[in-house]
Amino acid sequence: MNLLGRAINPNLRTKFLLPISAMLIVSMLLASGYMLDRQSDSFRSELETSGETMIKMLAINAESGVLFESEYMLDELLLVLARFEVVRYAVIVNLDGKVLSSTGKCNLECLQHIKSDHTVEPGGLCYKRYAEDSAGVEHLLLSTPVTTRRETVSREHLGMSDQVGTGLAIEQQDEVIGHIVIGLSLETVNEAIAEGRVAVILLSALVLIAGIFIVTLIVNIITKPVTALVAVTDTIRQGDLSRRLDIRQNDEIGHLARTFNSMIESLQQSREEIEEYNRTLEEKIVERTRQLEDAQAQLIQSEKLSAIGQLAAGVAHELNNPLGGILGYAQFTIEKLRKSTSKQGTSKEIASFLKYVSDIETQARRCKAIVQNLLKFSRSSRSVDFETVDLNAALEETVSFVEHQFRINQVELEVWLSPDLPNIQGNLGQLQQVFTNLLINALHASEPGQTVTMQSRISPAVGEFGGAVELLVIDKGHGVSPENLKKIFEPFFTTKEVGTGTGLGLSVSYGIIRDHDGEILVSSELGGGTTFTVVLPVQKSAASTDTGNRTKQSNHRQEES
Amino acid sequence: MKKILIIDDSAVMRNLLLDYLADLKFDVDACGDAEEGISKAVTGDYDLCICDMHMPKASGLDVLRQVREARPELQFVFTDSLPDQLSEKVQKLGTFQYLHKPFELEQLRKIIVGLLKPVRTQ
Ligand SMILES: Nc1ncnc2c1ncn2[C@@H]1O[C@H](COP(=O)(O)OP(=O)(O)OP(=O)(O)O)[C@@H](O)[C@H]1O
Ligand SMILES: [Mg+2]
Repeated sequence: MNLLGRAINPNLRTKFLLPISAMLIVSMLLASGYMLDRQSDSFRSELETSGETMIKMLAINAESGVLFESEYMLDELLLVLARFEVVRYAVIVNLDGKVLSSTGKCNLECLQHIKSDHTVEPGGLCYKRYAEDSAGVEHLLLSTPVTTRRETVSREHLGMSDQVGTGLAIEQQDEVIGHIVIGLSLETVNEAIAEGRVAVILLSALVLIAGIFIVTLIVNIITKPVTALVAVTDTIRQGDLSRRLDIRQNDEIGHLARTFNSMIESLQQSREEIEEYNRTLEEKIVERTRQLEDAQAQLIQSEKLSAIGQLAAGVAHELNNPLGGILGYAQFTIEKLRKSTSKQGTSKEIASFLKYVSDIETQARRCKAIVQNLLKFSRSSRSVDFETVDLNAALEETVSFVEHQFRINQVELEVWLSPDLPNIQGNLGQLQQVFTNLLINALHASEPGQTVTMQSRISPAVGEFGGAVELLVIDKGHGVSPENLKKIFEPFFTTKEVGTGTGLGLSVSYGIIRDHDGEILVSSELGGGTTFTVVLPVQKSAASTDTGNRTKQSNHRQEES
Repeated sequence: MKKILIIDDSAVMRNLLLDYLADLKFDVDACGDAEEGISKAVTGDYDLCICDMHMPKASGLDVLRQVREARPELQFVFTDSLPDQLSEKVQKLGTFQYLHKPFELEQLRKIIVGLLKPVRTQ
């Protein structure tokens, strides 16, 4: 598939290389062909020239031999000639065609044309022709007439005829007396040509190879960055943006590569930004969901607590009348019995009645306390006096109440109070009840030798929020299991033995802190300890108008005693 | 003998107060119905009324409103079994003694004695 595609759509390299190489080869072929042609031409013409010189010399020297038809003279002449390897044969004939002398193997058919040739244009001229001998070997055939000068002046001066001045040409006339034919071998010429051809071919091949090499090099220089570009583009298309082009040229391609790199850089950057955004978005969603779930859980929890509160209020209302009857009759009876004993002296029976009824009174008082606590937990409208409370002083007083219990249980109580705690608006007695509850719970959770820490601190005002004071009770005791942690503020939830705890401490504290517009928070680790944090708001101005609304008349306090 | 009227829908509380106050030598009358209580308080010559806040037909507040016109000199002690806004509303109409059930008899006795004493010395 790929190969097919490549064949049909040649890549850039092939597009460059093929035509340039083809051009190179064709021009090289043409050049070397031309060179070979020229070379053989020049070799042949050289042979021809030397052959001409040779045959002319021969013609001149053969004049007297032919004239006298002296075979001896001519044989001598041809013998000298035969020393030249290039001479294959030589024939000297007279006008009648009689061979006067010859050397080498001569093909007599060659002689046939001579006469006609020479008669057409006689005198000093040389004819040449490439002919084949009987064996079919090509050779250079040269022929020339042998002439002599016939002078009409005198026959005595015949031997001197060549020395006679040209001015006497009118009386002189060249006459053909015979012919000379020589055959020159083409062997050396052909060898030289062959050698030359080899050289030319070798040279051409060398030049061609060098040429193709250089062309390939140049094409590579051009196409390599393009190929790299394509490769990187492919990886980028597959989503890998980490690759970069490593091209450090100062030309257009280098510029292209730099532009491309910076383009990928910004692409990668924006992709990372998107990924980062996606990731943080996920985190945000998770965080939001968690917050929502927390808020929902808290809402459910406080709804549940308020439902329990309503129930508690109803129960309290129903219980208070019978409880009032029980308590009242017990007290009335006690009064009566006391009066009668003082009158009639101590009767054993009456004394025991007195004890029974006193027990009823005690238990009724206990019930009364429970119901009152229940009412404190439920959102009661029983307003209490709000006053300016110095929280540190309240804490110190609370500590003095519980110190003794800590000491006998061998639990240390550390107190860290922030010296510049602002005053808050609240009910001192109720707040102290909360702190006592928290401290006693921490004490009950602790082992002898452990330390409970109570700390007060400020959380600063931010904008609308006027700031708050925080009160922490930290213990290293047995902690609360996660499932119990949800229930500890519910009335009557207790893990303590029957009779030890009513399970109202934290629910009452919850109600009190809620009535103070505060918050009570808990974090606990099973086996690692528990921290309760009470957050109470600080009014921006100490004498807030809110205080007046919440304070009830002073005479309401007496019935509590 | 001072006359005291008890208005309370709870029978046990009514009986207790009747017995206790009679024992303290008061002339005590009681009724469990708020409307009946109102008419008794208006027509009768009671010195003191012990009135519960939460009753089926009318609240302690209604009793106070309706009786005060006719008998401004009548003293009131209110009791309730559930603290709510009613007590605040009662406070707005004047300073009244207020007891949360279950209360101590001794406390009630002190209040009554305190309220009726000045009348006695007059
Ligand atoms: N600091 C604490 N460490 C471990 N568990 C605690 C702590 N505080 C409270 N709890 C758990 O919460 C429960 C409820 O406490 P809460 O104060 O409401 O009632 P209680 O202490 O059991 O009884 P009481 O009414 O006498 O206070 C406890 O029984 C206990 O299991
Ligand atoms: Mg407790």
